[in-house]
Amino acid sequence: MPLDITLFGIQMPTLLPIFVIAAVVQILIDRLMADGGLYNYVWHPGLFRTAIFVCLFTIPCLFIYR
Amino acid sequence: MLLTSQNMNFIRTLPWAHTFHEWIRIDAPVLIYMVKVIIAALLALWISMKLNLPDPRTAIFTVFIVMQPQSGLVFSKSYYRVLGTIAGIGMSLVIIGMFSQDPIWFIAFFALWIGFTTAAGFKYRNFQFYGFVLAGYTLCIVALPVIETPLEVFDIAVSRFSEVVVGIMSATVISDIIFPRRLLDSLISSEQERFHNVLSTLADSRAVFAPFDESNPAVSRFSSGVVGLNAVRINSSFESGSDQKERQHYSHLNHEYMNLSTTYHSLKSIVAPIEKTELMDALEYLYAPIVTALETRPEGAVNPEDLSRMIGELGKAKQEVQNRFESEHSHYKENDLYISAAYLIIRLLNELHNHCATYLSLLKHRLSGAASKELSRYVRFSTHTDNVLVALAALRGSGVLLFTMMFWIWTAWPYATLTITMAVVIGLLLGTLPSPIDGVKDFFKGSVLALVFAAVYDFYVIPAYTSDLLTLGIVLAPTLGFVGWMTTRPKLPIFSFGFVFMFMSQCALDPYYKIEPTKFLESSLAALIGVIFGGMAYLLVNFWSCSLTQQRVSKILRQQIVSACDGALNIERSALESTGRDLVQQFSTQGRLNMRSSRLVFEWLLATLEIGRAILTIRRSLKRLQEDFHSIHFTMALESIKHFFESPSQIYRETLLERLDAALMVLRRGTFPEEKGQRRRYETLIIEFALIRTIVFNSTTFPLLKEESCR
Repeated sequence: MPLDITLFGIQMPTLLPIFVIAAVVQILIDRLMADGGLYNYVWHPGLFRTAIFVCLFTIPCLFIYR
Repeated sequence: MLLTSQNMNFIRTLPWAHTFHEWIRIDAPVLIYMVKVIIAALLALWISMKLNLPDPRTAIFTVFIVMQPQSGLVFSKSYYRVLGTIAGIGMSLVIIGMFSQDPIWFIAFFALWIGFTTAAGFKYRNFQFYGFVLAGYTLCIVALPVIETPLEVFDIAVSRFSEVVVGIMSATVISDIIFPRRLLDSLISSEQERFHNVLSTLADSRAVFAPFDESNPAVSRFSSGVVGLNAVRINSSFESGSDQKERQHYSHLNHEYMNLSTTYHSLKSIVAPIEKTELMDALEYLYAPIVTALETRPEGAVNPEDLSRMIGELGKAKQEVQNRFESEHSHYKENDLYISAAYLIIRLLNELHNHCATYLSLLKHRLSGAASKELSRYVRFSTHTDNVLVALAALRGSGVLLFTMMFWIWTAWPYATLTITMAVVIGLLLGTLPSPIDGVKDFFKGSVLALVFAAVYDFYVIPAYTSDLLTLGIVLAPTLGFVGWMTTRPKLPIFSFGFVFMFMSQCALDPYYKIEPTKFLESSLAALIGVIFGGMAYLLVNFWSCSLTQQRVSKILRQQIVSACDGALNIERSALESTGRDLVQQFSTQGRLNMRSSRLVFEWLLATLEIGRAILTIRRSLKRLQEDFHSIHFTMALESIKHFFESPSQIYRETLLERLDAALMVLRRGTFPEEKGQRRRYETLIIEFALIRTIVFNSTTFPLLKEESCR
């Protein structure tokens, strides 16, 4: 993947849209997990959430900076 | 959870256990919060320095703004901060793009935007308010500095936004990871306390039938916290692990509590004027089964088994009260007072039964995930904001902006932009406080103290002791911790806000150290002048007085009754109740009511809620009742209620009482329908008309004429 992309004529680092998409996906997953009651079985929900976000954000980033 | 129960048991055996326990409960959370603030702020500083953002102070400032002891509050505030910043930045691009050449239009548009955000901020609750505040003052910090060089607006916009995002990310991650404190936990404990309160208040039959006693804490407590707990519930929805079903339970509990509290107070206000006679004994006899059932109420922590046993008892009490009512009914058939009070007692019991069942369902849901009660639908908490208050706030916001703009143009002082920003912030942010002028004073004091700190840092500590990011972090940490401590003090919120605002705008935290004494002094002076201008706006545009507030409230409440008479029929009772309570809450923080007039306004509210609900029930019953049983007297009675509340006077009151009597007479003398459903509606009409008549006849205070309680 390229380092920069152009959206609506504005050049920006690819990291930015990835961040936004990861955030949206994270919010959806979080809702699902909360309503499904998964957080009752997790020791530290906040840490778990953050870890999931880090995974979601960094996996696509690895493809950029490989 | 700081300590596991095993550790706690060990600690309990130690001699200083009590002291330690107190320390854990009261002091440790503050200390932890301070550490969290320091870490989050330094993280934000580090990231912004690493990303080479031009103004790391914005990031740290954002951390302080959104940081709260409980995670739910942080998420909710961050969310609205991001939205507000986006709106403000978008508007800055528009306004600079369109009007940067034309001062008149620029200022006019600017003032409109500030007026709009102030009004909208006033209209919305919780942290939505904060989003609008941000949208307003982001325009100041983005658009004003680039007015000479409009092309730079894109750079400033992008960097402001990045800094805010960095600050928010640091604050939310730190507060969710390091010793998170969930808002939901505090919701649970306050809900439990409230539940115990309800049970113990209702179990005391002497308190129910005693005349109104303001010193009785149980009675006055039994109405508070409806609006506040609703806000907590909304904010907790941003936390992890709070599922939808649980929140639904809380919103139902809040509504049921609200209904219970209204019924309780209505009952009290109806029975209060009754002398200790046969009638009173009959009512106490009717109430007795409730007291007996509540004697089995669980003490301390509630477990589902005890609670369901008590609900069984309440079910039996329902039957018993109904039997007693039917056996006594013939005796008091014509007595409106008895009919209304008995109806309220039965309603109170039904609502109590319902409330306990919902609470049981919540307990079961929390323990095993299996709620015992299907909650039908989502109940809405409606709010009401008075348009006069909103217009006043908008006027103040725009006015202060125009005035400071004139100051800028007349003096041509380059730092006057800071004056504008500060005045706008004051105008936007302190408007919803109970006493804004005291708030401005606190803000000013905080700012002056911050200037001293900033001067020490700028001219002594930073040049002398810092060489890199690590040392900068070390020297900053004590002040950051100090600010964190201040924000936990309940008496210092505005003071600490002023401190943070000024410290963060004057401290030399740029990527490259650059500070000159003249610049420091001039910009500090400009900011302080801005605070003074903002405060002056509160002094000038504030003609709100106690009697004016009372007039406004009584007018709005009367309008509610009028609209119940001829408005839409699909208004829910919950909407009526929450609107009224929200309204009174807002007026009692904004409108400077003294103790006596607050009490009065609360009584007005009760009368309005009860009459409004009764009118809606009557209209619904009439709609479903067969034509044969209708009478012109019913519509005439409704009409005269409307007339009375539209323009209250003694003559209208007498007409109203006459017509109500006529309607009741027709109902009681007429033939009762045979069919069961029709008969029930017919009886409902009797009860509701009797209730309205009792309230109108007995109530000494009404949202009618100007009362003299303000003096």
